[in-house]
Amino acid sequence: MILRRIAALLFVPLMVAFGSGVYLYLGTLKSKVVKERPQLPTVTKPKFVLPGTMFVVQEGRLFKLNGGSFTEIGPPGDWSQPTLTPDRTRLIAVQRGGASSDLYLLDLNGQIVKRLTKNDSKYIASNHWAYYPRVSPDGASLFFSFDSPKLVNSAPGVDLSVWSMPLNGVQSQARRWTDPYWYTGGDVSPIPLAGGALLYVRHSIDPSTAVHAQIYYQSRPFGIGKPLTAAADDCTEPALSPDGTQLAMVCSRGKQTAALEVAPFNGGILGPAQVLLDNGLYASPVWSPDGKALAYLAPAGAAGHFQLWYLALPLPAPSATASSSPPVAASPAVSGSASATVHPTPTPAPPAPVQVTQGVDLTATSPPAWY
Amino acid sequence: MLTVLCLVLSGVAGAAAYFFPVVVAGVGQTGQTVIVPPSASPGLKARPTPSASAGAPFTVLLLGSDDDSKFQADHVLTQSMILVRVDPLSRHVTMLSIPRDLWVPLSTGGSAKIDAAYSYGGAAAAIATVQRNFHVHIDEYAWIGLKGLIKLIDQLGGIDVLVTNPVLDDFYPDDIGGGFLYGYKRVAVLPGAQHLDGSHALQYVRSRHNDINGDFGRSARQQEVLLAIKAKASTLNAADLPDIVNALSGEFKTSMGLDRVRSLLGVASAFDLANVNQIVLYVPTFTSYGQISGQSVVLPHWPQILAITRANFP
Repeated sequence: MILRRIAALLFVPLMVAFGSGVYLYLGTLKSKVVKERPQLPTVTKPKFVLPGTMFVVQEGRLFKLNGGSFTEIGPPGDWSQPTLTPDRTRLIAVQRGGASSDLYLLDLNGQIVKRLTKNDSKYIASNHWAYYPRVSPDGASLFFSFDSPKLVNSAPGVDLSVWSMPLNGVQSQARRWTDPYWYTGGDVSPIPLAGGALLYVRHSIDPSTAVHAQIYYQSRPFGIGKPLTAAADDCTEPALSPDGTQLAMVCSRGKQTAALEVAPFNGGILGPAQVLLDNGLYASPVWSPDGKALAYLAPAGAAGHFQLWYLALPLPAPSATASSSPPVAASPAVSGSASATVHPTPTPAPPAPVQVTQGVDLTATSPPAWY
Repeated sequence: MLTVLCLVLSGVAGAAAYFFPVVVAGVGQTGQTVIVPPSASPGLKARPTPSASAGAPFTVLLLGSDDDSKFQADHVLTQSMILVRVDPLSRHVTMLSIPRDLWVPLSTGGSAKIDAAYSYGGAAAAIATVQRNFHVHIDEYAWIGLKGLIKLIDQLGGIDVLVTNPVLDDFYPDDIGGGFLYGYKRVAVLPGAQHLDGSHALQYVRSRHNDINGDFGRSARQQEVLLAIKAKASTLNAADLPDIVNALSGEFKTSMGLDRVRSLLGVASAFDLANVNQIVLYVPTFTSYGQISGQSVVLPHWPQILAITRANFP
């Protein structure tokens, strides 16, 4: 009898332990999307070693990827969209405040050299956004998207225009290049070209009220922009190859998935695009320093966190001058074939993309800077 | 034998403790009963019939509300009203966004913007108003507050969306997280594919001041986010439910029972985007802008609207 009671007493903790075990075991059955939280790049080991050095962003922090390992650089802040100066000695990045964002010149270790813009104000509507910095090939001018002027009426408008200012100058010297379609968000992703012209992405609306993104070419400030892609293709996030002969872009065609495409580019003419990857969430393509590969950001796994991917390119695309479609004149975006200049062509089986990072969640709206 | 029984009982106790929040929510937040006033439209059922046979198509009215301190509890406006018809067998889903400023006769009497229906009579009034005006039968409803949406998306680990154009707003309501309830803040959601946490996803679906399509553009964004939530939810399993239920505590109500919620999750994991029909009642085909009693409203073009609801919500 005593033995039985002792056994029963000993069994109680066993029951408690078993019940707790069941509780804890059920917790381990949670799906990955609930359990998986991104890690800081610095505590991860990339699966693939990229050539050169790359700067990426996660949760407002700047990271340098070199030789297969990450280093965090820069002072605390909400940083994004790093871009290199043409001589590869400086970075320009966006620092976002509560109601504004500014451009900063940094050295390659992330130390602030100079604040380039001052867009904060104690009056909420007097704050401004500056995004998408890019330095001209001669290193003299800084191009960026800036939400000025604003429409002040019954429906206040906040839309980005492309502006430029001397890199060694002050913000008051900035001049506007583009006049956006109001209430679409405006013009983004400027790429100054060697000859002084500009590529950028314009957002516009068609008669069916659908908003489109198109890559535009413009030769001078307030010149007439020329669409290089069709409204219906919704091509955006352009990246010019180091030799300036190819343009990578992301085209969504009104869907919630996109294609990663490359087209030959020649002084304002875009040739037929090759679809490299389709039906994915591709973002922020950048060219390798030798122009033979692309890196881009896309989700990996069920959690949907954006990882860095590497894609070696197939054989060069046909020349831009071989395009059978003449560029169309600038006009409000109208979806349909009338304004199409780029026709994706079948791809000669490109190599499979290689996942570079794992376990991180890089900021997909911040194109990496790579040299 | 007794040993095994005791172990089974302790295991069941452990599982019961794990799923306790789900049980509490199942009692408190699901299976909400609403009494819908008799319909003025002939041929419509007077009150929702929670469900037809298993596997039969059903229609859910999704309601999204401000639920901050500007309003009395349960007297909130519905910033978002989306009719969703789910056909579990064909795995086809149709979503129709109802403009919040649509000027309609309310089931509680008089005419007003349709977003006021919920504030005057809760879910029952919102359902009755939609049923009467749109000539559809609603089987179920689900209501979520703004904070609930943030928590849900955060609990899912964020969502992936492809933002088509910059969403910039100098007059975004700064009414969540304390502070001055009638204040504004600036938001900027940049274009491109990206992973959004709950608060940024809310900015994406709630901003409207700088959208050329106004509330209609916002409706389209809300549908995109719903599909992104669906994509994430399709990977959930039963072990995830307690955390999600805890996150939604007080921010979610539905007439659906747990069995219907479970079957809905099953459908979510099975259908793909190709089987989703998205409808927004854009100007000028379905609606037009107008002014009534000094208010900016959206006026319905009922022949066109009813044609599309007849076709998609039989």
